Amino acid sequence: MNEKLYFEDVDIGDEIGPVTRTVSDEEVIQFVSIRDEKVTPSRFTSKEFANSEGLDEAIVPGAMNIALMSQVLTNWSETVCLLKIDVVFRGTVPHNKDLVFSGIITDKDETGESTKLECDIVMENSDGVKLVIGTGIIALPNKP
Amino acid sequence: MTTDEGIIYDRSLLGVENHIGTFKLTRETILNFAKSTGETDPRYIGDENGEGEIVAPATICNIFVSGVSRPDIKLEFGEISFFAGQAIECKAEIRPDDVLSASTKLDNVYAKTGRSGKMVFAVWETHFKNQNDTTVALVTESFVRRNKSR
Repeated sequence: MNEKLYFEDVDIGDEIGPVTRTVSDEEVIQFVSIRDEKVTPSRFTSKEFANSEGLDEAIVPGAMNIALMSQVLTNWSETVCLLKIDVVFRGTVPHNKDLVFSGIITDKDETGESTKLECDIVMENSDGVKLVIGTGIIALPNKP
Repeated sequence: MTTDEGIIYDRSLLGVENHIGTFKLTRETILNFAKSTGETDPRYIGDENGEGEIVAPATICNIFVSGVSRPDIKLEFGEISFFAGQAIECKAEIRPDDVLSASTKLDNVYAKTGRSGKMVFAVWETHFKNQNDTTVALVTESFVRRNKSR
């Protein structure tokens, strides 16, 4: 994580990441069990169940994917304030495989009325296939 | 039930708020959410001992949205459905011991034609307020129905 980023430090075209990580079976079970104390087999937690729905393997829940996408932005710097994230699910996200997250700044409010920045964000598999794409709006503080 | 641009669904549900629950957000829930998503930011996990002031990651409302049963819009189209996308607007910080109240409404139903044929999107908007009646998050979800590929 960058220590402290300020609005004046960032320009259109600046890159965020890439960050590579995996999501383990245990993390998915822990995520699902936050809401449902008793985790029953589902497409998210059981390969067999996922197979019965025509999926090759258990998948990461959409709600978890958007949390991971937002982390790319909030972990960019401790000063990032996430205002909005908007994602489109393009493909299923597998457990235990490398996922590559990255972003790029696409717009900067130069009016002086806010310190908002817009960015594109993407989650890809190790073959470069886009699994989740989206946009984010963040704010950074002005330099003291 | 009505037809709107060729889409048949229960149009009386459009814009009607449905209360879907009240949720107490404990510090433990926030920490579990952060841990399960591999969070490392001290804003959300506290210090190395898990102590100190924390706030919830902005997407935490999702754990309350997932699995919510919504009214059946009686859409007469398509054989399969899937979760197409989601947007979360973060309006205010969410803190341990906040009590969140959520209501959802059908915001829009529309059709689009892509390479795989016609698809119908149903868009739901879910509004989260805290115990002070402050809106903390607005979650917009799109669900798609389409026919199976042949």
